[in-house]
Amino acid sequence: MRLLRDLGSAYSPEESEVLRINDKYFTLSPSLRDGLKARKGLVYAGRYLGRDRRLFQPSALLLETLAAEPGTNKVHVGRDAAWLFACGRDLFEESVEEAEPEFILGAHYLVVYEGRCIGYGRYETAGGRRIIRNLFDLGDFLRREM
Amino acid sequence: MLCEEATATIYFFGGAPTYTGNGLRGREFFLGRYAELGCSLTGEETTPQAIRVNPLRAADGEVVEALAGEGVQLRKIPYLDHGYEVVSSGFSLGASLEYLLGLYSIQEAASQLPVQVLGPGPGDVALDMCSAPGGKTTQMAAYMGNCGALYAVDSSRDRLYAVENSLERCGVTNCLVYLGDAATVDLGARFTKVLLDAPCSGNYVTDSEWFGRRTLRDVEANAAQQRRLLSRAVELLEPGGRLLYSTCSLEPEEDELNAQWLLENHGVDLEQVGGPGVPGLTSVFGVELDQRMSLCRRLWPGGGTQGFFLAEAVKP
Repeated sequence: MRLLRDLGSAYSPEESEVLRINDKYFTLSPSLRDGLKARKGLVYAGRYLGRDRRLFQPSALLLETLAAEPGTNKVHVGRDAAWLFACGRDLFEESVEEAEPEFILGAHYLVVYEGRCIGYGRYETAGGRRIIRNLFDLGDFLRREM
Repeated sequence: MLCEEATATIYFFGGAPTYTGNGLRGREFFLGRYAELGCSLTGEETTPQAIRVNPLRAADGEVVEALAGEGVQLRKIPYLDHGYEVVSSGFSLGASLEYLLGLYSIQEAASQLPVQVLGPGPGDVALDMCSAPGGKTTQMAAYMGNCGALYAVDSSRDRLYAVENSLERCGVTNCLVYLGDAATVDLGARFTKVLLDAPCSGNYVTDSEWFGRRTLRDVEANAAQQRRLLSRAVELLEPGGRLLYSTCSLEPEEDELNAQWLLENHGVDLEQVGGPGVPGLTSVFGVELDQRMSLCRRLWPGGGTQGFFLAEAVKP
């Protein structure tokens, strides 16, 4: 999963631990794995990691796991910037309160509000300004059901 | 058997008269039924918006404080573990950062009761037989602390997408979701706790078109489907397992009459259900039911909730 490396994550589940259902990937706790006896009709199982679109799209659950890793790239934002980002907007560099590590052009960053991950983006230049380009945000939950 | 007379229609169900009145539909017909059952309603009752805090993501106080900071006033609902009435809000609570982060879900007060009464825990193997759109499934996962094994089933693939989204948003990791008819799907498991929040006729509080759409024939058809699901629910229970049967219907055919059918046909024991509302009806349109129907719980609209019915059964 190249995106995970781009975010500075060392997370790499064992292939044997990963369950694939169509284009979606999951891992299961031991009790859930023991309870999985029937596969017919199964559409979702345990911890959802993400799905293959053109590129791998991580789930909100996986992003949460990545944000808890000390070494992953993160930017911390306040509420106003967080809400705009969750509405699908890009972030201006000046709305970032803190970046871990410091900004590197082309690097991917998890966007964090009060310790919780609300999405991720890539640090790049647009229109002469430095921005975090929105690649995914939690507002996706609302757009999916429109 | 249907007998039509000049001014009244008497409709028989299972040998018991259901209601004498004009026609089988309409506001006057159904309000007349409810009055006959002991509750005078206007048909204008409403239910306030409510939320349920998700303890998998946050403590109640954190959510209340965060929303208060955005000008949302909440009031704790005393009979619910994590339920709050929305007193005032300047924006849609389905469009906040806290909602997107899964810190709470929007869930009407009465509909939070079935899972709370059933009380699945970390050691349970639990089943939500009619899962979509997933509010009660995520509630079950929260009570289980994301431990144990939770199975969720629904017969609609489109509606299951809503379940999947809810599970992801609310941080649920202990759930297996199946597409299938809960009455026949093979899950390869037996369960300690089963929730059957059954497809039903609904009620006018949550559907402004209800009086114009619903007929007693709909009620009959739903009641038959519910019995099919109830049979399967008992089959899927381990000995000593618990079943919580609930509907948001006010019609006794789907509620007390089905609970009585369950007792008579499946040898389960009914447990006392407490909380808001009144005991289940023991007399329906002049026909006396098993007195154990009073162990069930019926919520009439107007007491801060929509209509609801709950019955808890234990398999010996």
